[in-house]
Amino acid sequence: MARQIGSFKINGRVREAIIEPQMLLVDVIREKIGLTGTKRACASGNCGACTVLVEGLPVCSCLTLAITAQNKDIRTVEGLRAADGELHPLQQAFIDHCASQCGFCTAGMLMSATALLEANPRPTRDDVNRGLSGNVCRCTGYVKIVDAVLDAAQKIVAAREVTA
Amino acid sequence: MSEHLSYVGKRMPKPDLAGKVTGEAKYTEDLVIPGMLEGRILRSPHAHALIKSIDISKAKALPGVVCVLTHKDCPEQKFSRSTMAEALPEFAFSGERQDQYILSEKARYVGDWIAAVAAEDIYAAERALELIEVEYEVLPAVLDPFSAMAKDAPKVHDDVKANVAFEMDHPFNTGDVDKAFAEADAVAEFSGVNSRQKHLHLETDAAIAYFEADSRLVIVSPSQGPHLAKKHLTRRVFTDLDDGDIRWISPTIGGGFGARLALGVEPVAVLLARASKRPVRVTSTREEDFSGYSSRTDQHQTIRVAATKDGKLLAVEQKIVSDAGAYLSHSATTSIVNMQKTLGLLRCDNIRGHLTVAYTNTPTTSGFRGYGNPEGAFVFQQALDRLAEKIGMDPMEFRLRNLKQVGDPSCFVPSVLEHTKLEECIRLGAERFGWSQKWTGWGEKREGRYRRGVGMSILTHASGAGGFLLEHSSAVMKVLSDGTLNLIVSPCEMGQGILGALAQVGAESSGLRYEQVRVTTGDTDVTMFDIGSHASRSMLVIGNAVAAAGAKVKDQIKALAVAKFELRQVSATAEQIDVREGRVFLTDNPKIGFDVREIAYDAIYNFGAEGGQIVATGSYLSTSHHPNHQAAFAEVEVDTETGQVTVARYVVAHDIGRAINPLLVEAQLEGSAVQGIGFALTEDFVIDPVSGEVLSDSLLTYRLPTTMDVPDMDNLLVEDPLPAGPYGAKGVGEAGLVNPAPSIANAVYDAVGIRIHSLPMSADKVLWALRHGDQAAKGSSRVSGQHL
Ligand code: FES
Ligand code: FES
Repeated sequence: MARQIGSFKINGRVREAIIEPQMLLVDVIREKIGLTGTKRACASGNCGACTVLVEGLPVCSCLTLAITAQNKDIRTVEGLRAADGELHPLQQAFIDHCASQCGFCTAGMLMSATALLEANPRPTRDDVNRGLSGNVCRCTGYVKIVDAVLDAAQKIVAAREVTA
Repeated sequence: MSEHLSYVGKRMPKPDLAGKVTGEAKYTEDLVIPGMLEGRILRSPHAHALIKSIDISKAKALPGVVCVLTHKDCPEQKFSRSTMAEALPEFAFSGERQDQYILSEKARYVGDWIAAVAAEDIYAAERALELIEVEYEVLPAVLDPFSAMAKDAPKVHDDVKANVAFEMDHPFNTGDVDKAFAEADAVAEFSGVNSRQKHLHLETDAAIAYFEADSRLVIVSPSQGPHLAKKHLTRRVFTDLDDGDIRWISPTIGGGFGARLALGVEPVAVLLARASKRPVRVTSTREEDFSGYSSRTDQHQTIRVAATKDGKLLAVEQKIVSDAGAYLSHSATTSIVNMQKTLGLLRCDNIRGHLTVAYTNTPTTSGFRGYGNPEGAFVFQQALDRLAEKIGMDPMEFRLRNLKQVGDPSCFVPSVLEHTKLEECIRLGAERFGWSQKWTGWGEKREGRYRRGVGMSILTHASGAGGFLLEHSSAVMKVLSDGTLNLIVSPCEMGQGILGALAQVGAESSGLRYEQVRVTTGDTDVTMFDIGSHASRSMLVIGNAVAAAGAKVKDQIKALAVAKFELRQVSATAEQIDVREGRVFLTDNPKIGFDVREIAYDAIYNFGAEGGQIVATGSYLSTSHHPNHQAAFAEVEVDTETGQVTVARYVVAHDIGRAINPLLVEAQLEGSAVQGIGFALTEDFVIDPVSGEVLSDSLLTYRLPTTMDVPDMDNLLVEDPLPAGPYGAKGVGEAGLVNPAPSIANAVYDAVGIRIHSLPMSADKVLWALRHGDQAAKGSSRVSGQHL
């Protein structure tokens, strides 16, 4: 199988890695690029822990062949905070609400929630429940995660209104 | 004067979250040691088979493969995956049978570990597993504990008669049980069995082993109790090593729930690292975690209860038959704890319990959050409801009439109950839930497709096992020159929030700032001995150790402050000085004071000063189990056309002593309640009854609760400080998983008049029972002959 140099645009930066055609995006992100914030918990598309955004849409990086994601805009949890280091409102809300316990689902939750809020800035509780229903969390019982997402949504909207 | 508290009781953010929301927190599999090999384990495809021969030559010849090991390369002593033998008194050892090798000499379940490979990369390691040629002689297998104990059944372990791994009477059986049953006005019985709930920590099992300077062995793994694991590994497995020869590091842990209390792949990583003289990382897949790691023990039970017609509980009798799986691990001890909690919950003069644990050719089971208590409560709380129905009494009232009071023998007999707020929990929960309006009496017929019902359940659980386990712990505190408090404590951070709560206790007791507490944990070279994070013990035991260290730090600061005040022309004795939130001040004139930094800085960087850095240790030994309590109320809706049960409302009131951080306590209660709802309704561990294979080996076939399964929940705290607790706190980590299954089961009965005898109460079982009546169910409890 042909090895090749793959080019990936991750969190706004172009990164290159030697890849093989059968390699999964999650392995390239974690092992080749060294961004270990993205987690793998089932490797079969059933838990959402490996969720990253490709062209703004949430995908399971454990089911995505790395070659298909070349030159596309990829966002991982490491790319959430602002350039000056300030936490994304979702990250801050997860801390404030204690929406993470062991943290293994957190990166995936944050990425799914980012996509959700980008598509629907004013979600209801039910919208959030539905939007995150593909992300499994074994620790929190979800209540505080949903609280955090709703809180972050409000803050993002409020901040936008101030700037507008 | 009311007590002033700066941090205790406040909803502070927990310190580990910054790294978790940014992706910076490092878990075992995120770490890379230069030169590290990838290790993988070959697992048996048969439930029971002799290994005639293993040919590793092809695997060894594969480029990139560094070593291939089998049973022949393992230490000769047997050990247990449970490390608890090192923390128990001699008399409890028989429940900690040392019964396995790292790699098996005979396959005892589908998934048993047969060989291990280390290779330069994961692809070579996986390919090598395929090239190992094992010749098996397949043997007949026993897949449930009753056939395992039948006459002439195949033996799982040659040296164990009738596959009985463990058997005991409850050590505190008391009274005349037969007489009490004979004379009672009413007798009820319930039989049931829980499923093998999987811990399902999202981080699959992994371990790294390598050598640092002087060939000292370092193990990195998500262990819940690295000190004990290290002792166990050197005492029982690698006996050429001793306690000081291993440094064990538990980094951030991706969920534990009791699973990490037992050894996972660590012994294999050590074996491979020693053979290859290279760092080795052993990993496992989700499917392997399902079949080869651990789960809750399925405990088949029959419970009989008797009462007078005015609701006095006269007798409780419990018989348990537990299925250990292929190796004993924690299955005997969780079953013993089930008896303790079940038989010890209520006031009762006549109790009798008996337990048998059998080996089968199924995956090893282990300790899981609640540790026997959820298993028992599912059966016991339904038996109590049946009895209440027989005497025509409100089930809440029946329980209230039989609560233990302070001074009664506690559930951990022979100790005495020194504190309980269970009655307050029941009353508070009932009021919030609206029990008196929603509970409409026994036998009410409901109509329509969707039928609602309500049920309740109560529990007692330990805050550590003082008097039974080695319940001592120590904390170290160092104060840095800027007033930062370095707090070194032993509990592992697996998400439970304990580090935050301990940081609050540390800041409160020392007078330093919470924002400046830096907690270090998880490295056995740095932390003091401790038996690990389990049994809801850390808050009480380690919290007390931290409070003791903090008091010493505060005293040192006060003593050093006397001279500082003198420089400011203020004369004060240490007793007239206090420290709070990083500020030193005069007790009777708080305006006069200064930042603690001045003292902290001088203690280290002033050449002329006497002494040195402010340092203190604190230790605590717990001699009791200081129970916490809880009452729960559930309202369910049953779809009579599909059998689907939905939990609409769930109210919990917990006897917490004092919540050091209510946010963290709520987080524990919410998380454990949803785990309990999964246990109750959807989580089904299915083993093929012919092949012994685990059929539910993915998240598609084993259904975890999602956001869509969370009911409208209230978690209420009953706060009345426990005198022995740090600032009055008791434990909370496990209790929340106990009440969901029984309260939901009782609510299902209230809604549709059927009782389900095995967990989970999945739609298919409910529908079957609705169509045919629960008395007509096929099969019967093998413990008592009662219908399932
Ligand atoms: S790891 Fe990709 S969905 Fe679970
Ligand atoms: S925080 Fe542990 S899985 Fe979500």
